[in-house]
Amino acid sequence: MNVKFDFVMHWLWTIAFALLALSGLTMVGAKFSWIMNNDIASADIIHRILAAIFVVLTLISILYEIIRGCKNNDKKQAWMIIGKSGYQLFTFITTLIFIITGIIIWVCMDTNMAAVAFCLYIHEKLTYIVVGSLIWHIYEKCHALIWPKKAVARSRIKK
Amino acid sequence: MMQKKWFKLFIWFISTALFFAASSIVIATYSPAPTEQQTMQYMSGMMSAMEKSLMGLSMSIEGDVELKKIISEVSSVTTTLVIVSIVTGDYVRRSRRKKNG
Repeated sequence: MNVKFDFVMHWLWTIAFALLALSGLTMVGAKFSWIMNNDIASADIIHRILAAIFVVLTLISILYEIIRGCKNNDKKQAWMIIGKSGYQLFTFITTLIFIITGIIIWVCMDTNMAAVAFCLYIHEKLTYIVVGSLIWHIYEKCHALIWPKKAVARSRIKK
Repeated sequence: MMQKKWFKLFIWFISTALFFAASSIVIATYSPAPTEQQTMQYMSGMMSAMEKSLMGLSMSIEGDVELKKIISEVSSVTTTLVIVSIVTGDYVRRSRRKKNG
């Protein structure tokens, strides 16, 4: 079984983002907290631990792209989470904004409330945009959802 | 890999989770203002988070002198341990590469 690096990173990143989105939305306010049954304590721990994993995954991807750039490797990597164009570029920019605002929220929580409030606003609104864009991404790649047995059966019918 | 059934199931699961996130945003955005009970539940959730979460735990550490001492001792050797493990890992990789030609 040949599993490529970009493929593994794509799905690890997806798991991390899905859990981050759900735990993060729980903490937005009273309108959202039903998502995790008002268990803000669990949401907080899940969000912090996964945020660290999310940052590590992103840094590994950036390092990988830098190394590829140094080696003049222009081969298209379809599964890579970050890249030069299209949805990969969108993910790269939004991820960096998420990380920067997230770090400011985490670090300045006890000191600079103005910065925290501003970053919370960006972090929250960006979540809505990115979750919406992910639905579009799933719609574009919906062929990945086709069950394999059906695909085999269809090819047999065609034959 | 993409043709494996268990992996298809995983993709379906993740997609469903993301659809749930998107629909919960729509529901929360267009729902009426939270009732007093909902607000109280949210506030009590926040209060328990202050006690149980990492943020709350870090506050309770402030009073624990022994734990603080252990943490400072452990964190002082972390950097050295990370460097040693990187060097050891690099040595093992290089020696194996030589062995395998």
